[in-house]
Amino acid sequence: MTVTAAELASFASSHDIISLGVAADDARRQRHGARTTFVRVADVDAAPGAPIAIPPSTGEVRIVGTPASRAAAVQRVREVVAAAGKTPVSAYSLADLEQLAAAEPVPLRALLEELRDAGLELVAQAPFDQLRDARMAIEQVNIAGLALARLTMEKLPTADIPELYRQIAALQHDVGVIKAFAPLPRSTNPAVPTTGYDDVRRVALARLFIDNIPSIQVDWALYGPKMAQVALTVGADDLDAVSPLDEAEEGRRRAPLEEIRRNIRAAALEAVERDGRFDVR
Amino acid sequence: MTIEQIADKVRSGGRVDAAEALRLYREAPTPLLGQLADEIRARKHPEGHVTYIIDRNVNYTNVCVARCAFCAFYRPVGSPEGYVLGFDELFRKIEETIAVGGVQLLLQGGHNPDLPLEWYEDLFREIKKRYPTFRLHALSPPEVIHLSRLSQQTVPDVLDRLMAAGMDSVPGGGAEILVDRVRKLLHCYGKATADEWLDVMRHAHKKGLRTTATMMYGTVETDEERLEHLMRLRELQDETGGFTAFIAWSYQPEHTELQGNEATGIEYLRTLAVSRIVLDNFPSLQASWVTQGGKVGQLSLAYGANDMGSVMIEENVVRAAGASYCMDEVEIVRNIEDAGFSAKRRNMHYDVLGEPIFREREVPRMLELAIAREDGDDSVPAELMNYPARSRAGKQLRVVPS
Repeated sequence: MTVTAAELASFASSHDIISLGVAADDARRQRHGARTTFVRVADVDAAPGAPIAIPPSTGEVRIVGTPASRAAAVQRVREVVAAAGKTPVSAYSLADLEQLAAAEPVPLRALLEELRDAGLELVAQAPFDQLRDARMAIEQVNIAGLALARLTMEKLPTADIPELYRQIAALQHDVGVIKAFAPLPRSTNPAVPTTGYDDVRRVALARLFIDNIPSIQVDWALYGPKMAQVALTVGADDLDAVSPLDEAEEGRRRAPLEEIRRNIRAAALEAVERDGRFDVR
Repeated sequence: MTIEQIADKVRSGGRVDAAEALRLYREAPTPLLGQLADEIRARKHPEGHVTYIIDRNVNYTNVCVARCAFCAFYRPVGSPEGYVLGFDELFRKIEETIAVGGVQLLLQGGHNPDLPLEWYEDLFREIKKRYPTFRLHALSPPEVIHLSRLSQQTVPDVLDRLMAAGMDSVPGGGAEILVDRVRKLLHCYGKATADEWLDVMRHAHKKGLRTTATMMYGTVETDEERLEHLMRLRELQDETGGFTAFIAWSYQPEHTELQGNEATGIEYLRTLAVSRIVLDNFPSLQASWVTQGGKVGQLSLAYGANDMGSVMIEENVVRAAGASYCMDEVEIVRNIEDAGFSAKRRNMHYDVLGEPIFREREVPRMLELAIAREDGDDSVPAELMNYPARSRAGKQLRVVPS
């Protein structure tokens, strides 16, 4: 099913989330079928010397937090890469790296190359709404020989969704290296959280408007099993931030791996585990 | 019949039988179920209102002899964690409820052998004396049966006495799945068989009481048994017309003897939509945001629900089993309006009472649900001394120290 521009405009302003979800699910299935990928991520702190725990089932080790300095960023990457073995390591927000490069001062590309030389494979996230120059920054990631794990939205955007998503589609048209876009904001006002309708609309419209980014991603840990599962039925095809701890303290059926598989199956989809490189494990 | 033929039947206002409902439940795409359920909601509620009630879900005791395997709330007789709320505490809770615009107490509790029928009658009478317009949505069918056994009076007689004391309506709790095979496995057959639960509701309806009906799914029942539950409710509603609303929620497994997993959000939306299709004679379906969270709770409005249930000031039972969602009136109204509906306050009979109360006057935000009693509070209400106890533990509590 091809969605016309008029239908897209109508979906964007409608409360009919069922029809919107059907259209987005059709678009998702044309691209991915029932295949639903997920990645188990071990977070480690950005501070050099902080403890590093990497469970054996980890598919991506992610350094989270803002590095205090260029030297600290490089040192931490070395430490984590040494501990991670063959597991891909992602690190930092591209917006933080932009700021760090400006503060040091050093060209962003030089900073990224230093991180690559320390063993980094992926920049963990590029928050579209926080980057000074998204196109330039993502191109620098690519030129430096790094990959970008995901494009994200840090906050609830004030711009209308169609306009925002047109900008993101245009960005991908220019850079061509974005593998996944996570349309749901990573931080919201706890007193006014996003609603279920909001979330469905953002995910579904992302799939329909942004047809040149392969995956629409939802954060399993941040949005929870119920909303993340619903998102899979309205256009999302990839789940980020699944716990690598597979302790079965409450029985095997309630362990994280079985829980995510159960949720994907219950949505009539097929679970496929991937690593941070988007390679099937 | 194909799925599309069954869908056409639903669209044209036809009634599905159990086999057709089962096919829809198992095979229909989730969005199709949503569309069918939403069409029925729109036919029944064309004005575009979504209602809610401001009330308080008070559990007057957690002491219970039923020992259901899915319950994390109860404590056995004699447990140091067992409690009974005193009349004064209940009056205080009612006053807090009235202060935020509340109109009703949803009063349910354990099957406590040390609370005789007279305790309920005295409580209800005193509430009605102090707060004449305040409504008592009280005592689910298994509690009525428990009181019938305890007092050795018939269910109709117990209902008469409770109504005379002030009971206004009966909540539909304790239905779980109305199939005795399931009830035996869940250890709730003893508290009420499927027929007994339905009989209490039949008697209540014939006496002019309105009631709700519920379904707790996701334990040990089959798909066929889920559908049988809905069919039995539909039959009774055809007979009496006394149900105002249906509420489905998923089993909450934390801290229960049964354990296991909670059904997923998509399973909830499918169950809700099929319920809307099968229960074509029920005026209203509630969204269970307390078990599903605000987001899936709001999405329920696209899958057949026309009511957001209660601005629950207090909740104890599903909270004990791991659910901890909270929405105050501001948040419920925001969710209703964001979904494209107008929000209306209602009473238990689903009569519209008016616009959101926080738009009429200042009401404090409630970002956390209250609980019946704080941990460690082991006080015993003084008036319990006035009522005879049946259990050894209860009798010991009533001994006056010399």
